[in-house]
Amino acid sequence: MKTTITFVIAVMMLGNVAFAQKYVTKTGKVSFFSTSPMENIEAHNKQVNAALDASTGDFVFKILIKSFEFEKALMQEHFNENYMESDKFPNSTFQGKITNLGSVDFTKNGEYDAEVSGKLTIHGITKDVTEKGKFVVKDGNVQGLAKFSVRLADYDIKIPKAVVNNIAEVIEITVDVNMNPLK
Amino acid sequence: MKTWITIGIGLVIMGIIAAFVVYKFVYNKPHPDYETKDADFKIEAQQLFSEFKSNENAASLKYGGKVIEITGKPSSIEEADSMLIVVFAFEEGMFGSEGIRVTMLAKFNDQVKGLPLDNMTLKGFCTGFNDTDIIFEKGSIVK
Repeated sequence: MKTTITFVIAVMMLGNVAFAQKYVTKTGKVSFFSTSPMENIEAHNKQVNAALDASTGDFVFKILIKSFEFEKALMQEHFNENYMESDKFPNSTFQGKITNLGSVDFTKNGEYDAEVSGKLTIHGITKDVTEKGKFVVKDGNVQGLAKFSVRLADYDIKIPKAVVNNIAEVIEITVDVNMNPLK
Repeated sequence: MKTWITIGIGLVIMGIIAAFVVYKFVYNKPHPDYETKDADFKIEAQQLFSEFKSNENAASLKYGGKVIEITGKPSSIEEADSMLIVVFAFEEGMFGSEGIRVTMLAKFNDQVKGLPLDNMTLKGFCTGFNDTDIIFEKGSIVK
Protein backbone atom coordinates (compact mmCIF):
# COMPACT_ATOMS: atom_id res chain seq x y z
CA MET A 1 0.00 0.00 0.00
CA LYS A 2 2.82 2.38 0.98
CA THR A 3 4.70 1.68 -2.25
CA THR A 4 1.55 2.26 -4.28
CA ILE A 5 1.00 5.64 -2.63
CA THR A 6 4.66 6.54 -3.19
CA PHE A 7 4.38 5.65 -6.87
CA VAL A 8 1.17 7.63 -7.32
CA ILE A 9 2.74 10.65 -5.61
CA ALA A 10 5.79 10.28 -7.85
CA VAL A 11 3.62 10.16 -10.95
CA MET A 12 1.57 13.14 -9.73
CA MET A 13 4.78 15.07 -9.13
CA LEU A 14 5.79 14.36 -12.69
CA GLY A 15 2.45 15.69 -13.82
CA ASN A 16 2.94 18.98 -12.00
CA VAL A 17 6.11 19.95 -13.80
CA ALA A 18 4.91 22.52 -16.31
CA PHE A 19 6.13 22.27 -19.90
CA ALA A 20 8.36 19.33 -19.03
CA GLN A 21 8.72 16.64 -21.68
CA LYS A 22 7.61 13.34 -20.34
CA TYR A 23 8.04 9.91 -21.85
CA VAL A 24 5.91 6.92 -20.92
CA THR A 25 5.26 3.31 -21.81
CA LYS A 26 2.91 0.62 -20.62
CA THR A 27 4.71 -2.16 -22.45
CA GLY A 28 8.20 -1.95 -20.99
CA LYS A 29 10.15 -5.16 -20.56
CA VAL A 30 11.85 -6.46 -17.42
CA SER A 31 13.49 -9.89 -17.28
CA PHE A 32 15.45 -11.76 -14.71
CA PHE A 33 17.98 -14.51 -15.02
CA SER A 34 19.19 -16.94 -12.39
CA THR A 35 22.13 -19.21 -13.10
CA SER A 36 23.07 -22.06 -10.79
CA PRO A 37 24.91 -25.39 -11.02
CA MET A 38 21.58 -27.24 -11.37
CA GLU A 39 19.70 -25.08 -13.87
CA ASN A 40 19.21 -21.69 -15.42
CA ILE A 41 15.91 -19.90 -14.82
CA GLU A 42 14.61 -16.86 -16.64
CA ALA A 43 11.33 -14.99 -16.65
CA HIS A 44 9.97 -12.10 -18.67
CA ASN A 45 7.45 -9.34 -18.01
CA LYS A 46 6.32 -7.26 -21.00
CA GLN A 47 3.69 -5.10 -19.28
CA VAL A 48 5.82 -2.69 -17.29
CA ASN A 49 4.70 0.90 -16.69
CA ALA A 50 7.56 3.39 -16.91
CA ALA A 51 7.68 7.18 -16.90
CA LEU A 52 10.56 9.61 -17.37
CA ASP A 53 10.57 13.36 -16.92
CA ALA A 54 13.37 14.66 -19.14
CA SER A 55 13.57 18.04 -17.40
CA THR A 56 14.06 16.73 -13.86
CA GLY A 57 15.45 13.27 -14.55
CA ASP A 58 12.72 11.65 -12.45
CA PHE A 59 12.31 8.05 -13.53
CA VAL A 60 9.75 5.59 -12.20
CA PHE A 61 8.57 2.14 -13.13
CA LYS A 62 6.10 -0.31 -11.75
CA ILE A 63 5.91 -4.05 -12.29
CA LEU A 64 3.11 -6.51 -11.60
CA ILE A 65 4.77 -9.64 -10.22
CA LYS A 66 2.09 -12.00 -11.57
CA SER A 67 2.88 -10.78 -15.10
CA PHE A 68 6.27 -12.56 -15.09
CA GLU A 69 6.16 -15.53 -17.44
CA PHE A 70 8.37 -18.59 -17.04
CA GLU A 71 9.05 -21.43 -19.43
CA LYS A 72 7.92 -23.94 -16.80
CA ALA A 73 4.55 -23.62 -15.10
CA LEU A 74 5.87 -25.14 -11.86
CA MET A 75 8.59 -22.47 -11.59
CA GLN A 76 6.01 -19.74 -12.16
CA GLU A 77 3.84 -21.20 -9.38
CA HIS A 78 6.74 -21.42 -6.92
CA PHE A 79 7.92 -17.91 -7.85
CA ASN A 80 4.51 -16.39 -7.10
CA GLU A 81 3.42 -18.51 -4.14
CA ASN A 82 6.62 -19.32 -2.27
CA TYR A 83 9.32 -16.78 -3.11
CA MET A 84 7.68 -13.48 -4.14
CA GLU A 85 4.38 -14.04 -2.28
CA SER A 86 2.68 -12.09 -5.03
CA ASP A 87 -0.75 -12.09 -3.35
CA LYS A 88 0.81 -10.20 -0.44
CA PHE A 89 3.27 -8.11 -2.48
CA PRO A 90 1.70 -7.78 -5.95
CA ASN A 91 4.04 -5.04 -7.24
CA SER A 92 7.65 -4.05 -7.50
CA THR A 93 8.54 -0.40 -8.05
CA PHE A 94 11.51 1.78 -8.77
CA GLN A 95 11.41 5.50 -8.08
CA GLY A 96 14.55 7.47 -8.77
CA LYS A 97 16.44 10.09 -10.66
CA ILE A 98 19.07 10.31 -13.36
CA THR A 99 22.09 11.65 -11.49
CA ASN A 100 24.04 12.76 -14.58
CA LEU A 101 21.11 14.43 -16.34
CA GLY A 102 23.41 17.00 -17.94
CA SER A 103 25.10 14.25 -19.95
CA VAL A 104 21.88 13.14 -21.64
CA ASP A 105 20.40 15.20 -24.49
CA PHE A 106 16.84 13.95 -24.95
CA THR A 107 16.39 16.23 -27.97
CA LYS A 108 19.19 14.68 -30.01
CA ASN A 109 19.44 11.14 -31.40
CA GLY A 110 22.19 9.14 -29.72
CA GLU A 111 23.19 6.71 -26.99
CA TYR A 112 23.91 8.21 -23.59
CA ASP A 113 25.45 6.51 -20.57
CA ALA A 114 23.42 7.28 -17.48
CA GLU A 115 23.47 6.67 -13.76
CA VAL A 116 20.18 6.28 -11.96
CA SER A 117 19.75 6.41 -8.19
CA GLY A 118 16.62 5.75 -6.26
CA LYS A 119 14.54 3.36 -4.26
CA LEU A 120 13.88 -0.16 -5.48
CA THR A 121 11.03 -2.04 -3.81
CA ILE A 122 10.81 -5.81 -4.16
CA HIS A 123 8.86 -8.21 -1.94
CA GLY A 124 7.79 -5.28 0.23
CA ILE A 125 11.40 -4.29 1.05
CA THR A 126 12.74 -0.94 -0.17
CA LYS A 127 16.45 -0.39 -0.73
CA ASP A 128 18.49 2.53 -2.05
CA VAL A 129 20.17 1.56 -5.30
CA THR A 130 22.46 3.23 -7.80
CA GLU A 131 22.85 1.56 -11.17
CA LYS A 132 24.41 2.38 -14.49
CA GLY A 133 22.42 2.15 -17.68
CA LYS A 134 21.88 3.74 -21.03
CA PHE A 135 19.30 5.94 -22.70
CA VAL A 136 18.92 5.62 -26.45
CA VAL A 137 17.22 8.63 -28.02
CA LYS A 138 15.84 7.97 -31.45
CA ASP A 139 13.35 10.07 -33.42
CA GLY A 140 11.68 11.49 -30.33
CA ASN A 141 11.44 8.21 -28.40
CA VAL A 142 13.60 7.28 -25.43
CA GLN A 143 14.68 3.73 -24.69
CA GLY A 144 16.01 3.04 -21.20
CA LEU A 145 18.35 0.05 -20.89
CA ALA A 146 19.96 -1.35 -17.76
CA LYS A 147 21.34 -4.58 -16.41
CA PHE A 148 22.02 -5.03 -12.71
CA SER A 149 22.15 -7.65 -9.97
CA VAL A 150 19.90 -8.18 -7.00
CA ARG A 151 20.77 -10.27 -3.95
CA LEU A 152 17.62 -12.17 -2.95
CA ALA A 153 18.48 -12.07 0.76
CA ASP A 154 18.51 -8.23 0.65
CA TYR A 155 14.78 -8.34 -0.15
CA ASP A 156 13.95 -11.10 2.33
CA ILE A 157 13.26 -13.61 -0.42
CA LYS A 158 13.81 -17.02 1.12
CA ILE A 159 14.72 -20.06 -0.94
CA PRO A 160 13.85 -23.44 0.62
CA LYS A 161 16.85 -25.69 1.34
CA ALA A 162 15.49 -28.36 -1.02
CA VAL A 163 16.01 -26.12 -4.06
CA VAL A 164 18.87 -23.95 -2.81
CA ASN A 165 21.14 -25.37 -5.52
CA ASN A 166 18.61 -24.58 -8.25
CA ILE A 167 18.32 -20.84 -7.67
CA ALA A 168 21.13 -18.30 -7.59
CA GLU A 169 21.64 -16.10 -4.52
CA VAL A 170 22.14 -13.14 -6.87
CA ILE A 171 19.94 -12.75 -9.91
CA GLU A 172 20.47 -10.55 -12.93
CA ILE A 173 17.74 -8.06 -13.84
CA THR A 174 17.45 -6.63 -17.35
CA VAL A 175 15.36 -3.50 -18.01
CA ASP A 176 14.33 -2.42 -21.50
CA VAL A 177 11.67 0.30 -21.57
CA ASN A 178 10.95 2.03 -24.86
CA MET A 179 9.09 5.22 -23.96
CA ASN A 180 7.13 7.54 -26.22
CA PRO A 181 6.50 11.24 -25.62
CA LEU A 182 3.37 11.83 -23.56
CA LYS A 183 0.87 13.73 -25.67
CA MET B 1 17.31 -65.49 -3.84
CA LYS B 2 15.25 -65.43 -7.02
CA THR B 3 12.42 -63.75 -5.11
CA TRP B 4 14.70 -60.97 -3.87
CA ILE B 5 16.01 -60.36 -7.40
CA THR B 6 12.42 -60.12 -8.67
CA ILE B 7 11.50 -57.66 -5.89
CA GLY B 8 14.64 -55.62 -6.60
CA ILE B 9 13.91 -55.40 -10.32
CA GLY B 10 10.30 -54.49 -9.56
CA LEU B 11 11.39 -51.67 -7.23
CA VAL B 12 13.83 -50.31 -9.81
CA ILE B 13 11.11 -50.33 -12.50
CA MET B 14 8.65 -48.61 -10.12
CA GLY B 15 11.31 -46.02 -9.29
CA ILE B 16 11.90 -45.29 -12.98
CA ILE B 17 8.15 -44.95 -13.60
CA ALA B 18 7.76 -42.64 -10.56
CA ALA B 19 10.68 -40.47 -11.73
CA PHE B 20 9.14 -40.24 -15.21
CA VAL B 21 5.73 -39.30 -13.79
CA VAL B 22 7.24 -36.58 -11.56
CA TYR B 23 9.32 -35.21 -14.46
CA LYS B 24 6.46 -35.26 -16.95
CA PHE B 25 3.48 -34.22 -14.83
CA VAL B 26 5.00 -32.17 -12.00
CA TYR B 27 8.32 -30.62 -13.04
CA ASN B 28 7.30 -30.23 -16.69
CA LYS B 29 3.56 -29.80 -16.24
CA PRO B 30 2.07 -27.52 -18.88
CA HIS B 31 0.90 -23.97 -18.25
CA PRO B 32 -2.86 -23.69 -17.65
CA ASP B 33 -4.92 -23.40 -20.82
CA TYR B 34 -6.68 -20.11 -20.08
CA GLU B 35 -8.71 -20.30 -23.27
CA THR B 36 -10.60 -23.42 -22.19
CA LYS B 37 -10.49 -22.84 -18.44
CA ASP B 38 -13.82 -21.84 -16.86
CA ALA B 39 -13.97 -18.20 -15.79
CA ASP B 40 -13.88 -17.58 -12.03
CA PHE B 41 -15.81 -14.33 -12.60
CA LYS B 42 -17.94 -12.86 -15.39
CA ILE B 43 -18.25 -9.11 -15.12
CA GLU B 44 -18.74 -5.89 -17.09
CA ALA B 45 -15.37 -4.27 -17.87
CA GLN B 46 -16.51 -0.90 -16.46
CA GLN B 47 -17.64 -2.50 -13.18
CA LEU B 48 -14.35 -4.34 -12.75
CA PHE B 49 -12.40 -1.10 -13.26
CA SER B 50 -14.65 0.69 -10.75
CA GLU B 51 -14.02 -2.00 -8.12
CA PHE B 52 -10.25 -1.64 -8.48
CA LYS B 53 -10.43 2.16 -8.36
CA SER B 54 -12.62 2.20 -5.25
CA ASN B 55 -10.72 -0.43 -3.25
CA GLU B 56 -7.57 -1.70 -4.90
CA ASN B 57 -6.53 -4.07 -2.12
CA ALA B 58 -9.89 -5.80 -1.87
CA ALA B 59 -10.21 -6.07 -5.65
CA SER B 60 -6.64 -7.38 -6.00
CA LEU B 61 -7.33 -10.12 -3.48
CA LYS B 62 -10.63 -10.98 -5.17
CA TYR B 63 -9.57 -10.89 -8.82
CA GLY B 64 -5.75 -11.15 -8.90
CA GLY B 65 -4.56 -14.45 -10.33
CA LYS B 66 -8.07 -15.39 -11.47
CA VAL B 67 -9.53 -16.18 -14.88
CA ILE B 68 -12.08 -13.48 -15.66
CA GLU B 69 -14.54 -12.90 -18.48
CA ILE B 70 -15.16 -9.21 -19.17
CA THR B 71 -17.71 -7.61 -21.45
CA GLY B 72 -17.43 -4.09 -22.80
CA LYS B 73 -16.65 -1.88 -25.74
CA PRO B 74 -12.91 -1.51 -26.34
CA SER B 75 -11.48 1.87 -27.28
CA SER B 76 -8.44 0.69 -29.20
CA ILE B 77 -6.24 -2.22 -30.13
CA GLU B 78 -2.52 -1.66 -29.58
CA GLU B 79 0.38 -3.53 -31.08
CA ALA B 80 3.64 -3.86 -29.14
CA ASP B 81 6.34 -6.17 -30.48
CA SER B 82 4.39 -9.30 -31.33
CA MET B 83 1.64 -8.63 -28.77
CA LEU B 84 -1.84 -7.39 -29.52
CA ILE B 85 -3.49 -5.60 -26.62
CA VAL B 86 -7.22 -4.84 -26.49
CA VAL B 87 -7.67 -1.64 -24.50
CA PHE B 88 -10.80 -0.68 -22.57
CA ALA B 89 -10.31 2.98 -21.59
CA PHE B 90 -12.37 4.58 -18.84
CA GLU B 91 -10.28 7.52 -17.59
CA GLU B 92 -7.41 9.78 -18.61
CA GLY B 93 -4.31 9.84 -16.44
CA MET B 94 -0.57 10.49 -16.44
CA PHE B 95 0.12 7.55 -18.74
CA GLY B 96 -2.69 8.46 -21.11
CA SER B 97 -5.86 6.38 -21.01
CA GLU B 98 -6.53 4.17 -17.99
CA GLY B 99 -8.70 1.10 -17.88
CA ILE B 100 -8.22 -2.57 -18.72
CA ARG B 101 -5.53 -3.95 -21.04
CA VAL B 102 -5.96 -7.48 -22.37
CA THR B 103 -2.91 -9.02 -24.04
CA MET B 104 -4.29 -11.62 -26.42
CA LEU B 105 -2.99 -15.13 -27.00
CA ALA B 106 -0.99 -15.03 -30.24
CA LYS B 107 -3.44 -17.40 -31.94
CA PHE B 108 -6.12 -14.67 -31.76
CA ASN B 109 -3.96 -11.91 -33.26
CA ASP B 110 -5.30 -12.13 -36.82
CA GLN B 111 -8.90 -12.34 -35.58
CA VAL B 112 -8.44 -9.35 -33.25
CA LYS B 113 -6.89 -7.19 -35.98
CA GLY B 114 -10.07 -7.52 -38.02
CA LEU B 115 -12.50 -6.85 -35.18
CA PRO B 116 -14.61 -3.70 -35.14
CA LEU B 117 -14.50 -1.85 -31.81
CA ASP B 118 -17.94 -3.07 -30.78
CA ASN B 119 -19.18 -4.70 -27.61
CA MET B 120 -17.25 -7.92 -27.02
CA THR B 121 -16.54 -10.51 -24.36
CA LEU B 122 -12.94 -11.50 -23.66
CA LYS B 123 -11.48 -13.96 -21.20
CA GLY B 124 -8.03 -13.81 -19.66
CA PHE B 125 -5.78 -14.21 -16.63
CA CYS B 126 -5.87 -11.11 -14.41
CA THR B 127 -2.40 -10.28 -13.04
CA GLY B 128 -3.52 -7.22 -11.09
CA PHE B 129 -3.71 -3.43 -11.12
CA ASN B 130 -0.64 -1.22 -11.71
CA ASP B 131 -2.15 2.11 -10.58
CA THR B 132 -3.30 2.91 -14.11
CA ASP B 133 -4.64 -0.30 -15.63
CA ILE B 134 -5.94 -3.74 -14.80
CA ILE B 135 -3.72 -6.16 -16.68
CA PHE B 136 -5.00 -9.33 -18.35
CA GLU B 137 -2.70 -11.88 -20.00
CA LYS B 138 -3.51 -14.85 -22.29
CA GLY B 139 -6.66 -13.22 -23.60
CA SER B 140 -9.12 -15.08 -25.79
CA ILE B 141 -12.31 -14.09 -27.57
CA VAL B 142 -15.49 -15.51 -26.03
CA LYS B 143 -17.90 -13.63 -28.33
